[in-house]
This record gives sequence, structure tokens and C-alpha cells, in this order.
Amino acid sequence: MSLRRTPLSNHHKELGAKMVDFAGWEMPIQYSSIISEHKSVRDVAGVFDVSHMGQIFVKGPDTVKFLSYITTWNMERQSDGDCRYCHILNEKGHIIDDTIVYTINANEYLLIPNASKITEIMNWLLSNSNDFNVIIEDLSDVYFCLALQGPEAPRLLGQHLNTSVNSFQLKTLDDVIISGTGYTGELGCEIIGPLDKIEFHWEALVDMGAIPVGLGARDTLRLEKGYLLSGQDFKGEETTLETNYAWVIDWDHEFIGYEALMSQKQSKYSKLSGILLEDRGVLRPGCPVYYNNNKISDLTSGSLSPTLRKGIGLAYIDLDIDSKITVEVRGKHLNGRVVRTPFL
Amino acid sequence: MSKIPDNLSYTKDHEWMLIDDDGKVRIGITDHAQEALSDVVFVELPEVGSKFSEGDSMAVAESVKAASDIFAPVSGEIVEVNDKLEESPELINESPYEFGWMVVMAPDKKLENNLDSESYRKLID
Repeated sequence: MSLRRTPLSNHHKELGAKMVDFAGWEMPIQYSSIISEHKSVRDVAGVFDVSHMGQIFVKGPDTVKFLSYITTWNMERQSDGDCRYCHILNEKGHIIDDTIVYTINANEYLLIPNASKITEIMNWLLSNSNDFNVIIEDLSDVYFCLALQGPEAPRLLGQHLNTSVNSFQLKTLDDVIISGTGYTGELGCEIIGPLDKIEFHWEALVDMGAIPVGLGARDTLRLEKGYLLSGQDFKGEETTLETNYAWVIDWDHEFIGYEALMSQKQSKYSKLSGILLEDRGVLRPGCPVYYNNNKISDLTSGSLSPTLRKGIGLAYIDLDIDSKITVEVRGKHLNGRVVRTPFL
Repeated sequence: MSKIPDNLSYTKDHEWMLIDDDGKVRIGITDHAQEALSDVVFVELPEVGSKFSEGDSMAVAESVKAASDIFAPVSGEIVEVNDKLEESPELINESPYEFGWMVVMAPDKKLENNLDSESYRKLID
């Protein structure tokens, strides 16, 4: 099967991007260099084509009740214009996907599932919607998403569309949705709209000085902030509690997975924790983690933090913060310790 | 286009070699290799005095995304390593043929089977 392309594919290639297969999409992994793109986002502003991400709209009178049942968050607590990060679980409490839920109004919500999970989430929503008066529409194929991230992003958004958004708030402007969200931990926004408008927004932002950033830096940026990567930090068997994201749960409402999480809450379990290398080296997903010479886990994510210039990673472990561990990298044990995320 | 200086010898593994007057061989990776690898963020170098056979992995250059083995282009002993790469691995990207050199080897025998600049250019074109 050939890879799917965003309408910006030729733009990416003209900018010298290296293209890779990501969840069935041909996407730019880097334009110039992961390190320089990473720094552009931390220091100035970067723009990402993340049109592979999903857009699922839920509409109808039971939208709030339905999405409260489907996700870890109670949508009764959302006001119009609120965005909320939460998890979608199965009955075992295992994460199917994480998503940001956009409250356009009480009768219209938008979910942004990960590219590789769109079909699974769609099927899950449909199969659990029988008792609810809702319409569920997957518009992923006709919507783009651009992320504008970095300290200068609000200024560029103002220049481009004469508007601003607060963190985790959304605005609709003609046919686009602009939200104060992202995956980098920086100020900025995501712009979501009909696919035929993507070039207009991309070209305007790049012309104003936003640096194109690929998926390689997107990964190092999110890892420095301890954000989860779907399909890597959770892949079907992990609960919200295990990922150490209990803050996305509203315990005062009923949702799929509630019982499982309640019972796990009383028990002892490993939590996704930060690993910071003290020795020089680069961590990789899959590297084994040792404590007192016993293998205790494997890294789910690992890289070199371009900001800290140190190896960082995530692993499911049950150790106190500051515990000394080693990580085996190509046969060598490198010293590190358990730290709280975010790494910065 | 990648730079390929005429005064160097090359391997199919995208390493360059500069043969000194005393027969020692200075080794690094080519401009083409550093471009393909992208930002080098960590370099693991061998100890001075360690010995390798031709084709052994003697060092590793890591980018954010991948680790690449650096192979011994000839059998011999490591007589010098570029310690600057520990603090500044990016020298490999910025100056692959000069400040980004990796090791100097004293080879057991004369170099054979290496490519001249023209043959190497054909290989990567």
C-alpha cells in the first residue's frame, strides 16, 4: 500500500525534508537537523504539519454524557471553548488512546486521536454509542492540523490571523479552529481546518519566520516534557494510573475503565518514570533498565535531550525518585537515576 | 553535493583515511556519511592501545535517531583518539574531514582495497 501524503508533501520535499513512513503517512522527520529544529521551538517558533492526526466530531444532545462515559474526564465540567487532555480506556482500564477533547459547544465536540488509532477509536466510539443520542463523524481525511509552537508563536498567530488563544482554550475563526494546545510544552497553538486551506496557513507562517519542524524534533520536544507517545509509551496493556497520568481522571463520574482503575488504585503497581543518564550516552526505546544488578524494565522511550545534552528516557518501574539505576546501551551499563518528569 | 577531497582514501562504509608519512592512518567519516547521519550527539571512541581487525566495529557515532558503527578499515592498533569529540560531537557534522577526525591507527599491513575520491563519488552518486 502506498503511503498517504498531506497536501504539503511537495513543500516538505522542496524544503529538503527527509520523509519517513509514520503510521502509514509519508511525513517529514527532519528538514535541516533535529537539534536545530528542536532549539527553534524552544527559543523562537516552529511550525509542524501534523495533518496525520485524527479529527473526530461528536454531535447531538447526548454528547456531554457520551464523552464523559468514553473518557477519563467529566465533560460536565467543560465550558464552551475548553480543551482537555484525557484518556480513552477499555473495561480493563487499559489506554486505547490519549486525545485532546475540544468543547466547541455542549452539542458539538472534537476529538484528536493519534493517526494510528483513528479507526480503532472510531469503532470504539460507534460500538459504545447505542444508548446515546449522538452523531459520530470521522473527518480526519478532510481536515488538516498545523502546530505553531514556541515563545514567538503567539506573536506569529497575531500577525497571521489577528487573534490570540489562551492555553487549553479554543476559538473558531471562519472555518478554522485555533486551540492553545500542542505537544512541545511551549506556548503556541494548533490550527485545524479544511484541507484545502492548509497551504495558505503553512506558507503564511513560514513566510513570517516560523521554522518548519519535523517529527524527529517533535519526539525530543515531547519527551523532554514527559508527554506520552501513543503506541510506544502505551500500547494496549497500560492503564492511566500506570502512565502516572492520574490527573486526567475525574473520579466523580462513571466511565469505561473506572472499576479497573479503582481497584488498581488500592494496589501496588509500576509507574512510568523518568530516567536521566549521568554517564554520557543516548537512550533508545527498548534499552533494559537495571536496579541492584537485576533487570527491572525496558525503556519505552529514550533519546538524548537536546536541551540538557543528556540521555533521557521513560520506563515502567516501581522505584523512588533519585534511585540509582543503570541502563544497558549496546552491552554497556550506563549510570542514571530516577527523576520526576518533566525533564525540563 | 558532498565534499570528497582528492587527497584522501575512502571505504565503502563511508569512512575516509589519511595516510601519514609514517604510515599511520587517520580515520573519520565522510561528508556524505555525516549528512546521512545528521546531528551527531554522542561518539564512543576506543581506548588508545586497543587493537582491531579489519571490519571490526571500533567506534560508534550516534545521532538523535540512530547509532552507527564505525568499522576498522584495516587491522591495527589505535594510537590516538580525538578526545574533543566527547565534548563536541557536532565537530563531525561541522568539519568531517578536519576537526571531526575520530582515530589514528597504526596498521598491521599496507592499506588495500580502498577507494580513491573518484571511485567513492561513483559509489554515492
